[in-house]
Amino acid sequence: MDLSAFISLTPQLIIASGVVLAMLLVAWQRSQKMIAYFTTLILLMAIIATVNAMGGEKTFITTLLAVDDYSRYAFILVLVSSLCCVYLSTLTLCQGVEVHDEYYLLLLLVVLGAGILIVSEHFASLFLGFEILSIALVGLVGYFRQSQFSVETGFKYLILSASASSFMLLGIAFIYAQTGDLSFSHAVIEQANITLYASLSQSVLYQLGFILFFAGIAFKLSLVPFHYWTPDVYQGASTPVTLLLATVSKCAMFIVLLKCCFTASHFSLIQGSNVFSFIAWLAILSMIVGNCLALKQQKIKRLLGYSSIAHMGYLLIVVLLGNLAGIDFAWQSVLFYLSAYLLANVSIFTVLTFDDKLAKGDAVTIDSWQGLFWRQPLLATLVIFSVLSFAGIPLTAGFIGKFYLVSFAADHALWSLLAALIVGSGIALAYYLPIIFALFCEPQSTPEENVQREITLADKSVVSLYIALGFVLGIYPDVIGKLLQQL
Amino acid sequence: MIITLLILALILSGALSWFAESRKSGSAKMVALVSSLFLALSFIVYLLSSHNDFSQLVLLADVSWIDTFNIRYSIALDHLSNMLLLLTFLLLLVAVLISWREITHRVGFYYFNLMLTIAGIVGVFTAVDLFLFFFFWEVMLLPMTALIAIWGHENKHFAAIKFFIFTQVSSLLMLVAIIVMAYLHQQQVGQLSFAYQDWLNLKLPDELAYYMMLGFFIAFAVKLPSFPVHSWLPDAHTQAPTAGSVLLAGVLLKTGAYGLIRFVIVLFPQASTEFAPIAAILALVSILYGAKMAFAQTDFKRLVAYSSISHMGFVMLALFSFNANAFQGAIITLVAHGLSSAALFAFAGMIYARIHSRDLAMMGGFWKSAPLMGGFALAFAASAFGLPGLANFVGEFFSLIGSYQRFPVITIFAALGIIGSAIYGMMLFQSSFQGPVKHSFIDLSVREGFIAISLFSALLILGLFPNLVFQFTFNGGL
Repeated sequence: MDLSAFISLTPQLIIASGVVLAMLLVAWQRSQKMIAYFTTLILLMAIIATVNAMGGEKTFITTLLAVDDYSRYAFILVLVSSLCCVYLSTLTLCQGVEVHDEYYLLLLLVVLGAGILIVSEHFASLFLGFEILSIALVGLVGYFRQSQFSVETGFKYLILSASASSFMLLGIAFIYAQTGDLSFSHAVIEQANITLYASLSQSVLYQLGFILFFAGIAFKLSLVPFHYWTPDVYQGASTPVTLLLATVSKCAMFIVLLKCCFTASHFSLIQGSNVFSFIAWLAILSMIVGNCLALKQQKIKRLLGYSSIAHMGYLLIVVLLGNLAGIDFAWQSVLFYLSAYLLANVSIFTVLTFDDKLAKGDAVTIDSWQGLFWRQPLLATLVIFSVLSFAGIPLTAGFIGKFYLVSFAADHALWSLLAALIVGSGIALAYYLPIIFALFCEPQSTPEENVQREITLADKSVVSLYIALGFVLGIYPDVIGKLLQQL
Repeated sequence: MIITLLILALILSGALSWFAESRKSGSAKMVALVSSLFLALSFIVYLLSSHNDFSQLVLLADVSWIDTFNIRYSIALDHLSNMLLLLTFLLLLVAVLISWREITHRVGFYYFNLMLTIAGIVGVFTAVDLFLFFFFWEVMLLPMTALIAIWGHENKHFAAIKFFIFTQVSSLLMLVAIIVMAYLHQQQVGQLSFAYQDWLNLKLPDELAYYMMLGFFIAFAVKLPSFPVHSWLPDAHTQAPTAGSVLLAGVLLKTGAYGLIRFVIVLFPQASTEFAPIAAILALVSILYGAKMAFAQTDFKRLVAYSSISHMGFVMLALFSFNANAFQGAIITLVAHGLSSAALFAFAGMIYARIHSRDLAMMGGFWKSAPLMGGFALAFAASAFGLPGLANFVGEFFSLIGSYQRFPVITIFAALGIIGSAIYGMMLFQSSFQGPVKHSFIDLSVREGFIAISLFSALLILGLFPNLVFQFTFNGGL
């Protein structure tokens, strides 16, 4: 392991050392403000280090990890969304008298886990990252122990991620039994390798192993039928933590899934056997069921939980890559879609956090946003942008993301998935539009409602930044598209 | 360039009227009126002074937009789009005037949405990059949905969602077709292209072309609307504010027909010829079903809405007959229906403003107190059922003559639709303006009179001198 390997791993190392330093900081002085600033600083440094390394070669760090530009870009996404999450956390945490150092520590651990997942090139490192991410998230989900649902939520998430990882371990064991190899990099995705693995793909144990492994990931991505935890955990966790679940965890999981599927062995397995239809059904079910379940929801966080199921279903299309020529475009599609999805999530969760302060423990419902456009036009505009982006309507980044996915699916002739995508988006409108309509309703003037919520200048500028970003990405997607092409 | 400026100016003047209203209430409508008059005049001046020959598409702007997919911002005009743009601007003026008194809350934002809808529609009629076309197609939807959802009547949210979902799902089918076409271009030429002109040179495999054609056809048939995907229309029309209905009937439905003319029958001549019998039957069902349903309505706006389905059936029948006469007839019917149905919806709005009901049972004997209004209403109803001398007659006559050569049986049955339209048209007029006096109110105001006169004179001129618009190059189908 030489110096260049260390250098390319710098961002992850920064985060790791940040975790240790944060612990020292806690031992030295407990201060609400200091730890928040420290976490922000660490994340900023990691972002700078990653941006700086962009454009580099694919570097292997032992057989376990490999850093390339796709993973760098994905890590930037993770870092930026956790930065937004830190910002929202400061808003939520400032209410109590308690000092919440552990919270930020856990948050950094989540980022570290995601960072390892994104660069992992081996089932062992994948599992390591998976566990760091999960355990830290369990801590965060149950963190606010005074709140009504914290024990229930924490337990649900703990048990489900534990069972997910045991599924995954068993799957990995089966795969190892058949291939004798846990590394992704040994089976570089080339035509020669694919034909080499073609015979192996008929092995039932191998197929079973891969399906079990996939199920483990599917728990985390909350694909149907592994989605039961999602709405409860989304609703029960505090809003910044939910944001973390929705962005960092899902993004990292998906990237590693893609890395794993885009190897010669798994590619030939997916193409050559029933695994293809397994994944396709998972995707179709997630799109339809996720959207249908979201229809009757009144609580925004629950609704977003269900809609995230559908979004992961849309993304899963990319896993069903049909030919090797499309691999770059697949990465571009996923990274663009994730960027748009993360932006939309960050936007809507920002508004949710602002509202949490007012709702005092009750979950924010669609009704509580009634007339928001006339009271707080800026916040409402942000909500409109993010909801339209979720729904994939032009003028927003979400539409371009969907355009990428539809292009991908059309290029690879995945017609049944396209049909599910169209039906799913149609159903989705039936719950996205009422949110927007509620914003435009005449506000009900109850006396308590008339208390204007405090929005500082900093909040306003953050909100305007998100709006501008969403608009630019929707109108001129080349900003990211060009960048992704060069990766 | 002019079109880009027009679109920008529409957006800006919408924003300006929103801003003006927040400064001084009552100023938004003035700003909207003045700016739409100015924009309409500048477009007319441009057309008169332009040396371009609009019998073919004239490319006005063509710059790179999204390089990743080789998507270009390209805008072109020909006679068809010019005429539809003129119709759009006329109806914009009508829409601004008809909302003058009707809209009393959130006025600034209302005019902003109105202008934005028009900006989207102008884009749809001029875009020749298919991605850009799709973009505008969706952009015009959003403010239109807002118009229905915020300023609509009692059941507005349901109607708005239904309208949006119908159009959105069908347009996703079109998006898939657009993308497949672009990839087909990549296979044949080597790079992605969304440009209309490039697609004209593609060699389409037969079966694929049929599916692509269907993708486009469904999106446009929903907008037209044609049976069996029409059910959003009565709800959207009934619940929309008057200006919303005027724009919906007057221009939004025309975007569907425009799409059929510009894209379906030109890009997929072979496939659409194969599909023509089915389309003709759908058109026939729309004509007869629309007429029958219109007859059964008790709601003024719902009746006119169903009559729209019937009239647009003629357009579809004519377009899929692949015949020069029918083609000209279809285009005149488009314009004529845009004018006459907009006028009828405007009258529905005027009556609603006076008696606060759209129920025909609540109406009757208006002639006594408002003879001028009654006269115009009779004229517009007569125009809708095709009285010779008015534009609708010319359009339907030519449509039927043309389509008879190809689908004689279907055309004979379709002609029955004209009789149907006379029946429901007379029923509409009689139950509102004749019979025992149920209400008496003041006659047309100057503003309303202006709306009626301008729409009626346009109908009359087109009816007497249809040659004014008989200048379209017929290049549809085989």
